[in-house]
Amino acid sequence: MSRDEIAAVARLERVSKKLGGRLVLEDLSLDLRAGEVTALLGPNGAGKTTSVGVLTGRLAADGGKASIFGLDPSRPAARARMGVMLQSAGLPDVLTVRELVTLQSGYYRRPRDLARTMALAGLEGLESRRAGTLSGGQSRRLLYALAICGEPDLLVLDEPTTGLDHEARRGLWATVRDEADQGAAVLLTTHYLEEADALADRIVVINAGRIVADGSPASIKASVAGSTIRCRTELPDALLAALPTVRSVARSGAAATLLAGDGAAATRALLAADPHLFDLTVTAASLEDALDNLSTDHREAA
Amino acid sequence: MMNSALAAPAGVFVREGVAELKKSLRLPQFALPTIITPAVFYALFAVGMSGANAGAATYSLATFGVFAATGPALFGFGAGVAVERESGLIELKRVSPLPAGAYVTAKLVAAGAMAALALALIYGLAMFAGVRLAPDRWALLVLIHMLSAIPYALFGFAVGMRLGAKGAIASANAMYLGFSILGGLWMPITSLPVWIQKVAWITPSFHLGQLALSVIGMPSQGSTLAHLIGIGVITILAARLALTGWRRSPA
Repeated sequence: MSRDEIAAVARLERVSKKLGGRLVLEDLSLDLRAGEVTALLGPNGAGKTTSVGVLTGRLAADGGKASIFGLDPSRPAARARMGVMLQSAGLPDVLTVRELVTLQSGYYRRPRDLARTMALAGLEGLESRRAGTLSGGQSRRLLYALAICGEPDLLVLDEPTTGLDHEARRGLWATVRDEADQGAAVLLTTHYLEEADALADRIVVINAGRIVADGSPASIKASVAGSTIRCRTELPDALLAALPTVRSVARSGAAATLLAGDGAAATRALLAADPHLFDLTVTAASLEDALDNLSTDHREAA
Repeated sequence: MMNSALAAPAGVFVREGVAELKKSLRLPQFALPTIITPAVFYALFAVGMSGANAGAATYSLATFGVFAATGPALFGFGAGVAVERESGLIELKRVSPLPAGAYVTAKLVAAGAMAALALALIYGLAMFAGVRLAPDRWALLVLIHMLSAIPYALFGFAVGMRLGAKGAIASANAMYLGFSILGGLWMPITSLPVWIQKVAWITPSFHLGQLALSVIGMPSQGSTLAHLIGIGVITILAARLALTGWRRSPA
């Protein structure tokens, strides 16, 4: 195997995909490298799950090419070293946790030790429970166990922490990080910015099926550094948007949220324009705001 | 197939089959009705009402056997696939190293086992009612009955991959009852209105029922060759529908 292939465990090359006549992915390229956690971040409907579908061989690309370990993902041989956790998969209620994990482990050539898988997924003590009797969070952990039981070199997690409480989420982050530290390439889709920030080496932001930003969590923040200004004002949106350095305006009733490159300059102009303005707060833009802004910019450009 | 052999360890087919059987046995409320209903119908209509007439019991054995084999195929396999597709389980199997055929094969094996149970009940009742057949006739009859499950399983699967779970269960019911009545499984085909006797030719149940009747020397309609061609054409059509359903299902 060449050095290049070792570096890129999985790859989407200029992939486009239409579903129901709508272009869901457009010219999307993505490299997943060993030992690296890549977060695919975007609003609902951005194409995250479709990207996972193409990468895992469940959906065929209409244009471009997907490969894992240099092979077409639709071939079972290509999936032999991949583990996948889907957003929703109803497991057979009547089979026990142990039976399901044992069955899935049997799909792999060199599976993990069963007890080790249970420990990593936090399922100790639940081995004899039937899947139908598990809580929401326990079911998610079972799906995670099925993804990692083969000790995969490529781990794909579609919104893995949805439905988990804070503690369980942190626990999962730690084990996902371990998988990457042991050399697995990890792709994680999420709409939790905190999650991408805490876990990922690289964040790829997608919106409307296209990549709008790609970089380290720090660089994603830096590219849209600025301030979030919240206030209640009667001024029309168009006027707010025309204030100095304002990038976007969101509004619900009288409450307006502005994103501005220069918070001080925008706030001065805002106060001058509306002497009756109240409930003013100015904060540094969070990653979430940054993402909203990137997504909005793209929509306006399109 | 080469790829499949490379991807997953030996024995996945067996382990997948065992898991499917466990699922069927632990959910008796789903499997039991399709196993017991044919035997109850057979006991009531063929054995009970005919006053333990061995001739009537023998005639009905042929057609009720087809009925018994098709329930598990339509519901256990066809509708079962639809339910697991809706829940996302099939997606999970498809992105795993499991060969594509293993899941489908395992479900077929489980449905076949349930069909065998349903048939065993009917055969037991038939012998109790005095039905006597030569061993080679028994063997052919069992073969036809078990093979009856195949076209039904394919139809159930084709529908299951296209409709949601509820739609698949509703259409499985329609096929279960419709094919049974129109194909003359419950009442001798000759006792039905002439238009039904004509419509019967496009049902799998008619061909299977008449083949089963002819191998045990009971009066039947049409020639063996015509029924073999009929069931062959229907099975190929069902297989095509099943295959296109499987291919298009992810979208």
